[in-house]
Amino acid sequence: MRQNFLYVLLIGLVTMYSCTDDFAELNTNPNQITTESLKQNFNHVGAYFPSMLKALSGNQVMHNLNNDSWVKHYATPTPFVGGVNNTTYYPRWIDQYWNRIYGSVMAPGRQVIQIAEEGGFDMFVQWTKLIQILGTSRLSAYHGPVIYSNYGSSGDVMYDSEADLYNTWFSELDQIVSTFSANTDYVGFKDFDASYGGSVPHWIKMANSLRLRLAMRISKANPSLAKTQGEKAINDAGGLITTNADNLMLSLYGEPFHEVTICFSWNDTRMSASMESILGGYDDPRASKYWAPVADASLVADHPNFPYKGILNGAFLASKALHLPYSTISEDFKSASDRKLIDAAEVHLILAEANLRGWSTPLSAQGHYEEGVKQSFAYWGAGGVDAYLANSTGTPLDYDDVVETGDVNDFTSRITSTVAWDAAGSNEDKLEKIITQKWIAAYTNSIEAWVDHRRTGYPKLPYNYKNDSNSDFGIIAADDFMKRMVFPIPEKTNNPSGYADAVSKLGGADEIGTRLYWDTGASNF
Amino acid sequence: MKQKTIKHAVLSLCFLLSGFLFAQKTVNGTVTDEDGVPLPGATVVVIETNDGATTDFDGNYSISASEGLTLEISFVGYESQQIVVGADSTYNASLAAGNALDEIVVSALGIKREEKTLTYSSQTVSSDNLTQARDVSFANSLNGRAAGVEIRKSSSGAGGSTRIVLRGNKSLSGDSQPLIVIDGIPMVNNRGNQPGVWGGIDEGDGLSQVNPDDIENITILKGANASVLYGSQGANGVIMITTKSGEEGKTKVTVNSGVTFESIISIPDLQYDYGAVGADKNSWSTTRGNYESGYAEDFFQTGANYVNSVSVSGGNSKTKTYFSYYNTTSDGVMPTFKYQKNNVSFKQSTKLLNDKMTVTSNIILTDEKTHNRTPSGYYLNPLVALYTFPRQMDFNDFMTNYQSLNANNVMEQNIYANYHFLSNPNWVLNKQPKDDRIKRAISSLNINYQLSEKLSFQARASYDYSNKTYEQQHAATSNPTNTGDNGRWDYKRVNDELFYADGILNYTDDLSDDISLTLIAGASIQHQQFGEGVNVTSGNDGLLFYANEFNFQNLPTNVQVQSALGSRIEKQALFGNAVIGYKDYLFLDVAGRNDYASTLALTGNESYFYPSYGLSAIISQMVELPEIISFAKIRASAASVGNEVPFNRINPQNTVTAAGAVNRNTQKPFTDLKPELIETTEFGIDVRFLNNKIGVDLAIYNIKSTDQFLSLAAPSGSGFTTYFVNAGEIVNKGVELSLSGKIIEKQNLSWTSTFNFTKNNNEVVEIHPEISGLGTGGGDAVQSRFVAGGSIGDMYIRMHKRDAQGRILLDDSGTPLSTDHMLAGNAEPDFSIGWANNFTLGDKFTAGFIINGKFGGEVYSHTETMLNGFGVSARSGAARDAGSLSVNAATESTGAAVSSVDPVKWYTALGDRNGIGEPYVYDRTNIRLTQLSIGYNLDTSTLGLPIESANISLIGNNLLYSAEAPFDPEVAMSTSRSNQGIDNFNLPSTRTIGMNLRLTF
Repeated sequence: MRQNFLYVLLIGLVTMYSCTDDFAELNTNPNQITTESLKQNFNHVGAYFPSMLKALSGNQVMHNLNNDSWVKHYATPTPFVGGVNNTTYYPRWIDQYWNRIYGSVMAPGRQVIQIAEEGGFDMFVQWTKLIQILGTSRLSAYHGPVIYSNYGSSGDVMYDSEADLYNTWFSELDQIVSTFSANTDYVGFKDFDASYGGSVPHWIKMANSLRLRLAMRISKANPSLAKTQGEKAINDAGGLITTNADNLMLSLYGEPFHEVTICFSWNDTRMSASMESILGGYDDPRASKYWAPVADASLVADHPNFPYKGILNGAFLASKALHLPYSTISEDFKSASDRKLIDAAEVHLILAEANLRGWSTPLSAQGHYEEGVKQSFAYWGAGGVDAYLANSTGTPLDYDDVVETGDVNDFTSRITSTVAWDAAGSNEDKLEKIITQKWIAAYTNSIEAWVDHRRTGYPKLPYNYKNDSNSDFGIIAADDFMKRMVFPIPEKTNNPSGYADAVSKLGGADEIGTRLYWDTGASNF
Repeated sequence: MKQKTIKHAVLSLCFLLSGFLFAQKTVNGTVTDEDGVPLPGATVVVIETNDGATTDFDGNYSISASEGLTLEISFVGYESQQIVVGADSTYNASLAAGNALDEIVVSALGIKREEKTLTYSSQTVSSDNLTQARDVSFANSLNGRAAGVEIRKSSSGAGGSTRIVLRGNKSLSGDSQPLIVIDGIPMVNNRGNQPGVWGGIDEGDGLSQVNPDDIENITILKGANASVLYGSQGANGVIMITTKSGEEGKTKVTVNSGVTFESIISIPDLQYDYGAVGADKNSWSTTRGNYESGYAEDFFQTGANYVNSVSVSGGNSKTKTYFSYYNTTSDGVMPTFKYQKNNVSFKQSTKLLNDKMTVTSNIILTDEKTHNRTPSGYYLNPLVALYTFPRQMDFNDFMTNYQSLNANNVMEQNIYANYHFLSNPNWVLNKQPKDDRIKRAISSLNINYQLSEKLSFQARASYDYSNKTYEQQHAATSNPTNTGDNGRWDYKRVNDELFYADGILNYTDDLSDDISLTLIAGASIQHQQFGEGVNVTSGNDGLLFYANEFNFQNLPTNVQVQSALGSRIEKQALFGNAVIGYKDYLFLDVAGRNDYASTLALTGNESYFYPSYGLSAIISQMVELPEIISFAKIRASAASVGNEVPFNRINPQNTVTAAGAVNRNTQKPFTDLKPELIETTEFGIDVRFLNNKIGVDLAIYNIKSTDQFLSLAAPSGSGFTTYFVNAGEIVNKGVELSLSGKIIEKQNLSWTSTFNFTKNNNEVVEIHPEISGLGTGGGDAVQSRFVAGGSIGDMYIRMHKRDAQGRILLDDSGTPLSTDHMLAGNAEPDFSIGWANNFTLGDKFTAGFIINGKFGGEVYSHTETMLNGFGVSARSGAARDAGSLSVNAATESTGAAVSSVDPVKWYTALGDRNGIGEPYVYDRTNIRLTQLSIGYNLDTSTLGLPIESANISLIGNNLLYSAEAPFDPEVAMSTSRSNQGIDNFNLPSTRTIGMNLRLTF
């Protein structure tokens, strides 16, 4: 009996060693989903799109304290890192949006393209590329040259110069639009597309509008290519985003609007002084859609009929508490479920500028200008657009930071332009109106407004009061603005020859004061 | 079958009866050492009948025997004696101290070995020394008891986790904690989450679930040399717990009942004279006021820890049984804190088949509940507002009226400033309760069969299961930085399981008169699954419609209810060990193990072998030594151990997001991953003097860790986001010295003393060429980083910017300038000492104390930096009293000297989370009276009660210490590898004083 018992034990111990076969399975997490499992219902190509689309727009350290501050839409009451940070032209947060685009759009996109190519899903290949162009074109607005055509190669990876990027994007958009146009009744996107419900004709409009946007970016750097590409976008049979119903809206996928968390949970963002100055001066009905009025009337004693108060971007901030009573964003954002990435207002305002530049456009410059403003009012649900467009007297307000002593943070508005179109005005005057309106309309999606401001100099925004730029990352003059974000620091060690190549393609030092390709510094016309 | 059973019964009966064929009588006597000092716990066995007894506290025994039978009297460390029973009934024995040759120690896998054959260092701590202090977390009692052991306890209070590191930090990615083993079998010691500079709460560890009164002793195997038979998990050393067993003879009941009172030692120095300007959260007024003071200190209460236990043990020559029940209840120094633990153990061993087979089973059941363990760091920490409350305001009103009904009919937090670090302390404690509960069962079965005189076989299996629930319910209006509108719910319910089984053949033979051989061959399997269950954290997304309803039904749709799986690993192993002895004074020890690890599946490296070699020589038996040296041994060993990589790194898949989408895995496949490697060499001597009264044990070691498993960010253009490498090298070199002595050994007075010295040098030789360092925690002002050329525990802090003359530089406005993060110190000490002493006076009094010292190393108080920023540090008050602050400074732009600065400007610049931390880096050096106990044995003979002995003791823990730092440098924010040496609103260190009554029946 005891012998038997021992044999059983021994045999048991020996047989343990025949079962390392299940090691691979043991070492996988059953709560993760395999590519194999995703083949059910054909999710293995499409399931990644919501995550890639969601990644196109980032959070606090990607936008709110970067482009949203440099283009002076939102301002922070918080003196982050001793008051010396991105908002005062000393970079602290450099590569967060870069990492988001490469980590959550380019890296999965590369694999998705591979899966889609293997499975013969050409529509998905093109859709991925379209999302990648949108993402990298937003990213390139920060840094200039980025990694695109060599993405995914081994060893040191070379960047694309901006001139090359735009050429590559345009030719890829050709392929995308032609594939989409040949498959307008394709329904494969439906389950993965919270923006257009899988409607291919809408994605064609979006692709054309993106081409138009990119063409306008290079209108000074390469006017002839810009015109060719712009007109191609305008003339494509698929059309442009010209009404709000066609806007590219990015779903929040159930999450709160980032600025709601930043403003109400963290108290780290408020209305900007520029918004106060421009919306107040133009008596803009969109103000109440964007911002909440202040509770303390003494803050708005200089304009009691416009109860909104903003903080100067690049202000001196003695303490965080001081500016918290200024205007928060509108409470309406608490119920927001999406964010616009390309909208009808932007397209019409590009077309208005295009018309000034001699591109053939459906309407006149004035027509597109006024339609752009109308689309924006409609988008925000604001009334009184006709009176607004007729306002030929209102000009932006001067600014007083009432909680700071003396003239700290105060400024005199440099804008003398009004809202009403002046057909007799110069192209320069007209452009100022167009870009100023584009700036207002771009609220909540400010990357393109930052591009426009650098490209055209409009709107004539106030300068920083506090400018901490120094030789570490480059100097911004007291009467100038942030020109770009430096390349991510890890690139210098991770990808040294790629980095050196990138700096040479940038055409200047890797500093925040170096102008990008389309920011020629030359006159607008 | 039936017939056999009957036959067995008959045989057994005959066997039992045979004992009565002789004339039985009771013999008794006293067992002492050569100096006449009684030896309690010595074993007396009647060889022929196998009956046994143990001596009591006074060395007395009594046993049934008859004339002509032989008593064998033995005691560990002494030479056994045999006495033939004659006509007398009293047989005293005086045992000669063994020359340490026969000391038996527990080595890896629970295999008992003679100490002389060991080729590496091991140290044993007895239960008396562990439980003397009645520390609720008994692991802390190891502090100072053995060389080479670094212990830091969590600041979170009773039942908190303990950081144990043997011979230095050996890993860049892991936390170098040793393996914990109960009766030879690995047990789970998973640590829960740990706080960081930003916040968080210690979630305890597995060790706290053991009943300290069940422990017979703890043996510490410090190096991989000793623990190679445990394989990779023993690479950081092993803490081997041997539990108590029943003893032959009369049933013994032991009752322990103790209470200790716990109070804080000190809080940071605060000012109460200057309030805030207006409604500011910071107290930066320069006008002195007459305000309430001292409330921060008064907030803490005197905690009480009640520890009660009962154990019953007994048995006969065939079956021994041990049963225990243990209960702890603690109210800490933090109001509302409560820790409760119930523990039941049952252990039984039975001899079968003519005593050739021994079957031992053991079950340990634990139920551990913790309410409101105290956080560290900025967020949701009651200490932040407690310390920094604006001085001009009414603190009592703030605390009493911590909530009020708001316009929406919701109870709302009363807080004076909307700021992410500030919460009303009473609100956090009452409206954001944190509850942890762990229910655990460890069961094991051990069958040992003596196949022949030379060959035995042992098979063991153990199943360790715990069900762990961690929950925090944050009421609506808790700090909005962390909480959504209707509240927030953090809930995690997971299981940890570990199944272990092994089989070991043990063969012992003398090949010739001079050569002995012991061979061990075995196989083991270990299957573990940790953190399997469900996890929810609703964060800022809050709760659905209904405020303060914390359940799954009330979760918003974008909050994921996650199926959790921390890790799932299977390891199999084949191992062998040969010890060849020559003339009983030279021993060669060779061991090897081959592991098969599931986490390396598909790499081709899942099977890996590593060996160890060692040699020990008993010099005292080889050559004639001066008489003063009674024993001398030298030992040397070398070992290498492979370490498997974490779960699910080879081929991770994709994750489903809250949006129902899928995040594509973008980690670069790593298919040629290798196990991490730790190579160690060790050399030691063990010399005893004056008839073994004084012992010296010296160990020198060198441990090199290479092929570390590291996750790195992939270059942006590579197409991946992360990739893994085998890289890096860490070297630990150290010396351990242990002196033990029976300094006084008189009939009425004895003093035994152990002194341990530990010195470990850690160097991160190399990490990876592509990264400058690995961040391991910290915040804005302080960072914990591993950098090549540095060492683990390095702290990087913002320093004053200085000119060539060393003057502090100011900007044009007079604000001090700061550098970027610079190396400011290392949290590990240069060396440590522990000095443990035990006294007996007569047969009534016993006493013991331990003094621990840490020398060198640095700690950083971020609390001080923050208190400056809030304007509540005592120094900021003193400077305002003086009107200015004298400094040796200069303006950077002009070079002009500045000798006096404005206190407000100065301390606001030094303060806050990005402040200049330099002045608050302190020497870790501290010396403390860690433990003191005084015991008294009551005379029970006159009581007329069935009480065999009664002992009452006064005990104190952490009674006194001297340190430069304004907080206790030995108490840690985190017991993981991260954030070492940093204090950020940690719960102040406490001392406990109390008493314990022990009764045996």
